[in-house]
This record gives sequence, C-alpha cells and structure tokens, in this order.
Amino acid sequence: MQHKLLEVTNLQTHFKTEDGVVPSVNGVSFSVSRGETLAIVGESGCGKSVTSLSIMRLVASPGEVVGGEILFEGQDLLKLGKKEMRKLRGNKISMIFQEPMSSLNPVFTIENQLGEVFRIHERLDKKQARQKSIAMLERVGIPNPERVVGYFPHQLSGGMRQRVMIAMALACNPALLIADEPTTALDVTIQAQILELMKSLNKAYQTGVILITHDLGVVAEMADRVVVMYAGEVVEDASVFDLFANPQHPYTTGLMKSLPKMDEQLEELDSITGSVPNPLEMPKGCAFHPRCPKATVECTQIKPQLEEYRANHLVRCLHT
Amino acid sequence: MALDTAPLLEVKGLKKYYPFKKGMFSSEVGYVRAVDGLDFTVQQGETLGIVGESGCGKSTVGQLILQLLEPTEGEIWFQGKDVSTLGKSELKQARRNLQMIFQDPYFSLNPRMRVEDIVGEPLKIFERYSKKERREKVVELLRLVGLDTHHLSRHPHEFSGGQRQRIGIARALALNPKIIVCDEAVSALDVSIQSQILNLLRKLQNELGLTYIFIAHGLPAVKHISDRIAVMYLGRIVELADRDTLFASPKHPYTKALLSAVPIPDPLLRKERIILQGDLPNPAAPPSGCHFHTRCPYAQPVCETKSPELMAYGGGQVAACHFPLEAE
Repeated sequence: MQHKLLEVTNLQTHFKTEDGVVPSVNGVSFSVSRGETLAIVGESGCGKSVTSLSIMRLVASPGEVVGGEILFEGQDLLKLGKKEMRKLRGNKISMIFQEPMSSLNPVFTIENQLGEVFRIHERLDKKQARQKSIAMLERVGIPNPERVVGYFPHQLSGGMRQRVMIAMALACNPALLIADEPTTALDVTIQAQILELMKSLNKAYQTGVILITHDLGVVAEMADRVVVMYAGEVVEDASVFDLFANPQHPYTTGLMKSLPKMDEQLEELDSITGSVPNPLEMPKGCAFHPRCPKATVECTQIKPQLEEYRANHLVRCLHT
Repeated sequence: MALDTAPLLEVKGLKKYYPFKKGMFSSEVGYVRAVDGLDFTVQQGETLGIVGESGCGKSTVGQLILQLLEPTEGEIWFQGKDVSTLGKSELKQARRNLQMIFQDPYFSLNPRMRVEDIVGEPLKIFERYSKKERREKVVELLRLVGLDTHHLSRHPHEFSGGQRQRIGIARALALNPKIIVCDEAVSALDVSIQSQILNLLRKLQNELGLTYIFIAHGLPAVKHISDRIAVMYLGRIVELADRDTLFASPKHPYTKALLSAVPIPDPLLRKERIILQGDLPNPAAPPSGCHFHTRCPYAQPVCETKSPELMAYGGGQVAACHFPLEAE
C-alpha cells in the first residue's frame, strides 16, 4: 500500500504545569500527501504551533507528546531515537519559523549557516558547500548571491532573511516542509513575494507543505486542504474550495464572517463573542459552546466527535 | 462631512529628521527622514486611516501629533492653536483632548496596577474628583467598553489580549478626548477579537462623536474603519483619498500594488498579483527623485531625478506621481 507522506493520528501533547495539565494538542489527526499544501488555521493557543513542533519532535519541557502516532513515509517518528530524528530534521523534514531575525544566528555568516546543512547532511567540504549555498540563494531569488553569502544576518532585510531561511529549509530537497507563520512578520508587499516563491518551489519540487497561519487570506491563496483548530482539537477538515464555499463548523463560519472585507463595506462586523477558554478550565461538552451562536443544552453535555459531513469534509459539531 | 467647516486638526509641512553621524571621524552628518513634509487635515468626527509598510513613518506621525516627539519642522494646528509652540501648561491641557491607543496591550498597561487605577489615573491627574466619584466614572468607562464592575480590582495579567485592549481604550476615553490616535490598535489581536474591537471603536465614535487617526499596516481593517485614507511611503504621503475612491481607482502605482498584495480570503479569487520587485529602500538613504521609482513598474527616467508633487484629482483625491494611473 502506498503510504501518505505524513499521517498524524490522535496526537496528544500535554504541558504539565504547576496548576495542572494543559492539553495543548488533544487528539489531533490529519494527513499530508506529496506535493500537497495543508494549512492549519486557528487563533493563539489553539495548538497549531505545538502540533508542528510535535512533528519535529522539538517540544520543550514541560511539554511532552503523550500519545498518538506520527507516520512519516510509513515510519513512526515518535519511536525514532534522537540520532535518527536528527538525521531527518533539516534533511527530509524541515521547518521555517515566523521570526526570521531570531532564527538565524547573528554571529555567523550566511555561508556558515546555510553551508552547515550541506556539510552535515551531504558531507560536502567547505568549498562545495559554498558553491551549493550560492546556488540555493539564487534559487530563492536573492540578488547577487556571491556577495550575500558572506553577509551576516543583520546586513539583510526581513524579507531577505526569510528567503535565507527558506533556502536553508529547502537545501536538502525535503519531502515535508513545515512553515509556521512564515510571512506574519513581513510587510504586505514582501509577504506577496515570499508566498509566490513558496508556491513556485512547492510546484517545482513536489514538496509536501504544512502551512501554519492565522490569516485566512493566506490560506485561500496557498492551501489545497485546510484543518481548522480550536482549543487543541481539529474542528473542521476540508479541501480549501469546499471550506470557503461551504464552512460547516460555527467557529469556521464565525472566523470568516469576522474578517473585514476588501470588496464590500459593512457598518458592523460579525464577531465571535467572548474569547478562547482557559486551557485549565475547558468547558464541558463542546469546547466552543460558550461562544457558539448555535449552542444548545446538548452541546454543554456531549463532546462532539470529528465526523464525516460528506466525502473529504470532516466536522466536529453536533448540529451539522 | 461638510468641507467648509474648519478642520479639527491640520498638519502643515510636518518633518521629523533623526541625525546620524557617519564617516571616519563622524564628520559627515546624515539624516533619517522619518517624516518628510506632510500636509493633511482631519475633520471633526471622521476617521483618517494612515497605511504603509515598516519604516514609512506612520507611527512617527502619530507620536508627533500627540507631541510625544518634537517635530524638526512644520506646524500642527489643533483647535486654532499650533500645538508645537505651546507652553508646558497649555500643552498639558491640549493633551486631554489628544489620546492614544497602543498596539501592544501587553506592554502598554502597568502590570503592577489594578484596572481601577489604570483607567482612573488620567482622572486623578486632571480632575478633582473624590475617590467615590472617580470610581463611579471608572465603572462608567468600563461599561462603555464592555467590561464590568468586578474587573475593577484585577491586574492586567488576569485579562485576555482583547480585554486588555478594552482597558487601554477605557483609559484613552477617560478625559473625553476629541481625537484618539490608534497606532496598530488591532494588529496584535486574534481575528475574532479584532472584529470585536473594531466594532467597539465604531460604536464609541457614533456615541461620543470621536475623531480617530487610525494607523495600521493591515489594509482590510483600515478600509473597514476609515472615511479617508493616506498612503505613506518612506516618510511621504504618496496618495490620499476617501476610502471608496482609493480602493476603486488608485492613482499611485504603490497604492495599487499595496491593494493587490493583500491575500483575499476566497480561493476562487486567486489572482495574478502585482509583485513589487526588491525591498523597501533604506530610509537613511532614500532613492533620488520619486522614492518609489526603484520598485515601480512604470518608472521613467524623469522619476529618478524629479520628486513628484501631490496633485489634486478631484473629490479630495491627491497623489504624488509623474505618471498617475488611469481609472479602470
């Protein structure tokens, strides 16, 4: 049987704090195929970043993956040893972070940091690594790569730094790229450049992409499939066209309606009342019921399951 | 909005330069022209949006209006007086009417103070209320922004981001100001909370007749709340128009590119966008002539040498471009 590129099943990542256990990721399942872009959307604290760190096995203490399965090309990442995992990271699975300033080391040149990937994973010598670094910088659209390769991070603008991060992440032609809010810190015109670049690279190399974002505009632009998360759980999972044309979960519809529109003018925006629940005091039943306009007595009692609404469209709601 | 009435606020030739030294013996002096000659007016009861990317000087404008920074040159007229020439006590009185809502609700509230003291502090300084009167006023303000009496004795850390922003708004409203400068007031908030705060700002404006200067980089939010919008690029206004005109027929190529760069939340509308080449230039060494010519798809030789003036295109629309776009 052909394996999916990545299959996450019932992932649970908990943080043990003094005040109790915070289930940041609480039974999350999804999959990514080769060449597919999966967007994970949700607001602060919904567990989208912890999900990606769990896949990379980078969750820091007191957080811990306590259950589930992460199959990457058929192999469970949670069962790999530290050394084996390290071989995968930056090689077959790589990651781009939100903050391009703090994810590059300020005291090393670009050559040093980008070349390291080749020296470690492909065992190239310094000269070959430099040549490949220059080629990589050129591929991500950095002008004058022979010079830039000798620069320190502070000599580059935010957009250029993010391009270097992308070059680094794509250096070994990874099968899976995790991009955690890759354009959030960038200006709009630079964001457009970076999104365009990611799209063309994804097309050219058939890389599977997990794109984590809170911006539904970026989702609509980039994704093939979308997973909507709320309070550590997947509440909806659908193809991008289906999700935007036919959102089912009240949280998804609420998010879409609360966006100010570029093409129409409303006196008042629809908004979701209240705010995200405290993870230590999760509401009983459906986690969204205190903010849900459709909530009934049942919702305060029964926990809805993620169920098929129709083919390829899953929803976690009692009232679909 | 009647145009014949005198504007509530008028800015004339406003400049803010930051000197820096360069050269081997720090002999040469250069300037970062953060704000480089702005002229605009704000009418009573309207919202003026100011948009632009990092380093365009939009936040500096807000701080200059509030006199948190001293302008290098230019005038800021508010209620018939040039605010930048006011003495200390007059300035203090003017500040009552000019308030600010900040971007980050985590850093703009003192973590050691209770909500009652945070919102009540402006009253303590400016009004001679008894403790009881002050508390009553604070409760009234909290209700206005959607908070409650039981929040009075809490500290900022006990609130979510959206609620903290409400506290900041209550504090800004305490002295019945005329103008509130909102500097990226919703940028740090989650989508569902952003719309709550935008609705609150709109409601308060209708109820209290407030005037807003809404500074932000997020175009959809600016469009939602503004009556008129100024687009800034490297310290200058490149275009200013009422909202509908700006969105329907921008004259400046930068405005058009900026509008085109916003991802639309509808996968059916995936489009060929105008992708600007290159980065924002260094504000310490802006390009000659039109600042935008290095990234402009329509640039001609004249753009490199001659800086375009703001030209009027009717209906209050002004733009600074040698080759303005035709209406589509």
